[in-house]
Amino acid sequence: MSRLDDTFAALRARRRTGLITYVTAGDPDLDRSASVLQALDRAGADVLEVGVPFSDPVADGPVIERAAERARAAGGTLTSTLVLIERIRPGIRAPIVLFTYVNPLVAMGERAFARRAAAAGVDGVLVLDLPVEEADAFRATLTTAAIDMIFLLSPTTTDERIGRAAALGRGFLYAISRLGVTGARDTLPEGARELVARIRVRTTLPVALGFGLSRPEHIQQVGAWADAAVVGSALVSVIAEAADSPDLVERVEQYVRWLKGAGSGTATTGQL
Amino acid sequence: MCVKICGITREEDARLAVELGASAVGFVFWPGSPRFIEPDRARRIVERLPPFVAAVGVFVDDTVEHMRRLVKEVGLSAVQLHGAETPANASRLGVRVIKAVRADQQGLGALDAWPETVTLLVDAADAGRRGGTGSIVDWGMAARMAARRPLMLAGGLTPENVAHAIRAVQPFGVDVSSGVESAPGVKDHQKMRRFFGAVRGAAAGLLPAFGRRDPDARGYFGAFGGRFVPETLVAPVEVLEEAYLEARADPAFAVALAELLAHYVGRPTPLTETVRLTKMGAAPFSGGARIFLKREDLAHTGAHKINNALGQALLAQRMGKSRVIAETGAGQHGVATATACALLGLRCEVYMGAKDMVRQAPNVARMELLGARIRRVDGGSRTLKDAINEAMRDWVANVQDTYYLLGSVLGPHPYPLMVREFQSVIGLEARRQILAQAGRLPDTVVACVGGGSNAIGIFDAFLDDSSVRLVGVEAGGEGLVPGRHAARFAGGSAGVLQGTRTYILQDANGNIEATHSVSAGMDYAAVGPEHAWLRDQGRTEYTLASDDDARTAFRDLARLEGIIPALESAHAVAAARRVAQDLGPSGVVLVNLSGRGDKDLETMMESEGDVAS
Repeated sequence: MSRLDDTFAALRARRRTGLITYVTAGDPDLDRSASVLQALDRAGADVLEVGVPFSDPVADGPVIERAAERARAAGGTLTSTLVLIERIRPGIRAPIVLFTYVNPLVAMGERAFARRAAAAGVDGVLVLDLPVEEADAFRATLTTAAIDMIFLLSPTTTDERIGRAAALGRGFLYAISRLGVTGARDTLPEGARELVARIRVRTTLPVALGFGLSRPEHIQQVGAWADAAVVGSALVSVIAEAADSPDLVERVEQYVRWLKGAGSGTATTGQL
Repeated sequence: MCVKICGITREEDARLAVELGASAVGFVFWPGSPRFIEPDRARRIVERLPPFVAAVGVFVDDTVEHMRRLVKEVGLSAVQLHGAETPANASRLGVRVIKAVRADQQGLGALDAWPETVTLLVDAADAGRRGGTGSIVDWGMAARMAARRPLMLAGGLTPENVAHAIRAVQPFGVDVSSGVESAPGVKDHQKMRRFFGAVRGAAAGLLPAFGRRDPDARGYFGAFGGRFVPETLVAPVEVLEEAYLEARADPAFAVALAELLAHYVGRPTPLTETVRLTKMGAAPFSGGARIFLKREDLAHTGAHKINNALGQALLAQRMGKSRVIAETGAGQHGVATATACALLGLRCEVYMGAKDMVRQAPNVARMELLGARIRRVDGGSRTLKDAINEAMRDWVANVQDTYYLLGSVLGPHPYPLMVREFQSVIGLEARRQILAQAGRLPDTVVACVGGGSNAIGIFDAFLDDSSVRLVGVEAGGEGLVPGRHAARFAGGSAGVLQGTRTYILQDANGNIEATHSVSAGMDYAAVGPEHAWLRDQGRTEYTLASDDDARTAFRDLARLEGIIPALESAHAVAAARRVAQDLGPSGVVLVNLSGRGDKDLETMMESEGDVAS
């Protein structure tokens, strides 16, 4: 059982909706990024998604694109991301999933990457522009390194391809709530529930739903059909706004506790 | 290409056939045919034919005496035999003979049985007896026969399929009857016009080379290509591939495109031999090879981009998409897309980097005039790469009603294949033209390579001509220092960018490097995957031209030849002059002059200013 398997098994056993948080590694700089990840873990995020800064993030909206720019300006790269994870991993409870585009992996070499990621304590890898059809060799490499390969599924994904991703994926499946790039929205899109239902009938793998989630009630809603909810752009916005502020870490922690309040079913007062 | 219109029963049909350029008209004297014409009536039509149009009488197992009599009475210039006639009988007719044979083993045998003075016409089995049922001939067999001796092709030809038939069989002429009729013996004048248009298009090489060289099932050319897209785009890209493969197999699609290329784009574009460029050029360039320019600058909208934009816009329309998005660097693809969308009534939005909007301002104004909405891109380097990123983001969000009209041989499969096939007309025309004008194949073909669509478009027709060197020219910019050039092969390595695995300019961390070129159309970090593959195979090679080389070629071509090239194309001209010098005066160089330079005047003026100051 991988750390991701344990996490989702525990969530299911306790009938709790998991919270997966996304931040870009090195945003706003490497040291504070380390503190942010530690704060997320402290605040109770169930899985930490860590974005690798990349120059051409075609699947991301402006919020995460800016985060990648800030991180790159501060020296953020795939290598520095792995170094960062290696540094904080011992003190972190939650599984860590890398969220990346394929080219940095190609540049490092897929085998070298898998080796270094495993050594750093990475639990799963999700590659935004590596659909199932292109992923064979890389998945095998990750499996050898005992890292879970996580696939994304979209409302446009056919049932047949859901089946393929379910057969090949490990850890959990990431359902994209709507057409479009990453970015927060006020309400949950209509098609999200249907996509999760289509996935559910084809696999017992846990399903996380992401893209556009930002509020405790979103997570509560998602919890009715999925195992976990992913909050990305909204969290990255909190970091962007507080980047120059001394209470950056505190605000991140507060935001996550606010989100979690609803997720655990014991709602606390919204603090933002 | 010789065209014979058969089964004429009305004078107005014969008159139109003549007007459209028919070499022959046919009259059916076999009483069993619904197109049978009384000899007297045929005579009255024949009397009015001009001297260079042949009148052909069609017979089935008639007597030699009767046929001889009708030749005389009607004034026939030839007889066409559709029965079990023998060479011996035919020789007694005293007039030129066309013998119909079938495209089968028996027909193959007939090739040797009939003397060379007899013209063979390949028809569907028993078509003569059934009187023009329109049964289609086995084109594969007909092609084998046509390879052995010149043939007329008949049998089931229509305005929709004739261009494909010509491409497949390579006959010296075509014969049509029922395919241009509204009823037996009654020609449909609109169909006749379209038939002639399609024949001309095919003869001029206006039909793209569809299905000639496909990548593997996953869209790979060797180790390059593929489909590296966000999950949301996987299904739409698969749907696009399916729609494209279906469209290119449909002769009506090819003909609709060929008609637009002929009548809207103005194809074929000419091939111009330079007069003074080599002779009068500065010392290092004098005395070189002959240089021929393929004049894509004379295509509508001023560049080759229109070939692809029209093809894909037709596909978008066919797929029922109402909105088209595109990216543009130099603005030529944006203008071409805006033009195609205006013509076909599609909503058009073009993404363009803020930096490119400044240096190609005239094209921004043109796109707006054409009704397109320009979406300014301020992210990243504010050039082509960032415009593609934004267009892909738009597509991800709007896949249901939106068609992404990508402008070069880049991106996920099927774009590199599709764009190459739409641009293949350049090479098809150029190869035919250079054979006619230079009398032989060129020693070297030179083209600039941004994404690489004009280059692959002209290279494609020469890939099997192993004697022809194919040279792509990348942007050397200000020197091979990271960030100051766009030479992917000289300074890059294999990687994945914007949906495809190819050569890219990247740093050690896999981030895409900044690029530079004086020409916006070459200022891009990736090259088409098929170029990477062809280079790996050793079939193509790539060289550089710097910003300064391009500026010099730009000025020289203007002053010495009266042609103002696009700065992109000026890179090719610069490299071609070096190639011509190495070849010496007996050599022949073919250059793809991919676009015209009006859009670059401001950039050139600025650099003139720099020189002056």
